[in-house]
Amino acid sequence: MPGSIKDRVAIVGMGCTRFGERWDVSAADMIVEAVYQAYEDAGIETKDIQAAWLGTATGMTGMVLSEPLRLQYIPVTRVENACATASDAFRNACYAVAAGIYDMVLAVGVDKFKDSGISGLGDGGAPGPSHAMEAESTPPRQFAMLATTYFSKYGLSFEEGKHMIGRVSWKSHQNGMRNKNAHFQKDVSMDTILNAPMVAWPLGLFDCCGVSDGAAAAIITTPEIAQSMRKDPVYVKALQISMAPRDGNFNTNYDFLHVEATVRAAEAAYKEAGIKNPREEISMAEVHDCFSITEAVTMEDLRFSPRGKVRDDIENGFFDLDGGLPVQLDGGLKCFGHPIGASGLRMLYEMYLQLQGRADELLNPGFPSRQLANPKLGLTHNLGGSPDGCAIFVGIVGLPGV
Amino acid sequence: MTLPEKPLPGINADTKFFWEGCKSQTLTFQKCEQCGYVRWPPSFICPECHSKRTELIKSSGKGKVYSFIVYHRAFHPAFERELPYVVAIVELAEGPHLLTNIIECRPSDIKCDMPVEVVFEKRSEEVNLPLFRPSFPK
Ligand SMILES: [Zn+2]
Repeated sequence: MPGSIKDRVAIVGMGCTRFGERWDVSAADMIVEAVYQAYEDAGIETKDIQAAWLGTATGMTGMVLSEPLRLQYIPVTRVENACATASDAFRNACYAVAAGIYDMVLAVGVDKFKDSGISGLGDGGAPGPSHAMEAESTPPRQFAMLATTYFSKYGLSFEEGKHMIGRVSWKSHQNGMRNKNAHFQKDVSMDTILNAPMVAWPLGLFDCCGVSDGAAAAIITTPEIAQSMRKDPVYVKALQISMAPRDGNFNTNYDFLHVEATVRAAEAAYKEAGIKNPREEISMAEVHDCFSITEAVTMEDLRFSPRGKVRDDIENGFFDLDGGLPVQLDGGLKCFGHPIGASGLRMLYEMYLQLQGRADELLNPGFPSRQLANPKLGLTHNLGGSPDGCAIFVGIVGLPGV
Repeated sequence: MTLPEKPLPGINADTKFFWEGCKSQTLTFQKCEQCGYVRWPPSFICPECHSKRTELIKSSGKGKVYSFIVYHRAFHPAFERELPYVVAIVELAEGPHLLTNIIECRPSDIKCDMPVEVVFEKRSEEVNLPLFRPSFPK
């Protein structure tokens, strides 16, 4: 069908490094690590790649990729779209194959933050000339306001709201501790989460993800070639981007209770994939949990939970690994980590492994299985920016015929 | 050890009227002469109807807390001595949403929708910064 990516391209190989504090390696080393995993997984070599897309928030030009991989003069496009960077690199690579220009391409995401000297993502910049009141704007502030407004408008006491968002992070730690490639692998109790130092009230330390070093890669081809290469390729069902115009600054009706761009991208993705009831039809998801409240609100924006009702689903374990719709199966940004330019492909990697029944390749020894029983469709979501001004990606991948 | 200075807003041709108003203890906003929309931050054309016809109105300085958070980690070293401090979006009676601080109030006493009023803090010869404090019906 023109205008839809559904089943027009397939993933035949993926790789992902361990995320974390990778003092001993460079960004180039991590690119080589992730890409050669993907080559091995797909059974191909560098010479088979016809074009590549590189997502990175920090590196400049496609040479960040061509140099370490010794790519021999093939096209490489560097993509930057904040936290949606890797997903957008993947999206463009898929489109090139769907357009019939290439039939074997590479999408890579990489970033290395831990030795850059900052512990977060900066402070929102110095006071600017036209936005004179933006000086005290940090990411924790921007997302904490979602929480304050959400608690107030839906009548949650501080204790109820704080427990709800704490439960989001607790669940991610339960998943992340099983994952040998996750940045943070500790079993963290609800008590520890609820009593952690405040960063931007009501968000405490465990309501905030960190930043990490890491890289991830995917090899994309046509469905026909994919079927000749392996028995279990993963098919792309939807790829959508929505860009917000920073309405919160200009539109006094902007409610800070939801992220409009997520709603728009999700509805477009559901239409593209032919999904009517995402709560029932989506098997699993990796979403952008830069802060715990972001994940909570995203569950409503994706129509996984009814508007204003996500607390019931969170507290009842609906999004736990053994729940009705598991979310952050690999630990999410909170535990697997967040090297901005690699995160979208890291999410996709988990969906890919789960759909192939290979999730326990990343299992920490001695822990219960991470593998879901018979997942069919997986959704990934990135939010780059702040709730009212952001780049949103929503993608869906799955088995054939779904 | 000398503490760093708090950063000051940059003033340009678009925002000059606002900071001039603050110097005389008044919040001033642009109002579209075509559709009546009162806007913030300042802009050359109306974000609602794109008209360039604009008048300046004086705000009552009254509003309510739309949303807020409490900083426990300072944005800038100069603010460290004030931790914990409140950063809020205040919805003015005239419509605009201002990002500002709530002062003269314990952070634990602040609630969404509570009434507040503007109070100006002199930061330099050029900048009277509009902050807000709880207002109680007289
Ligand atoms: Zn107008």
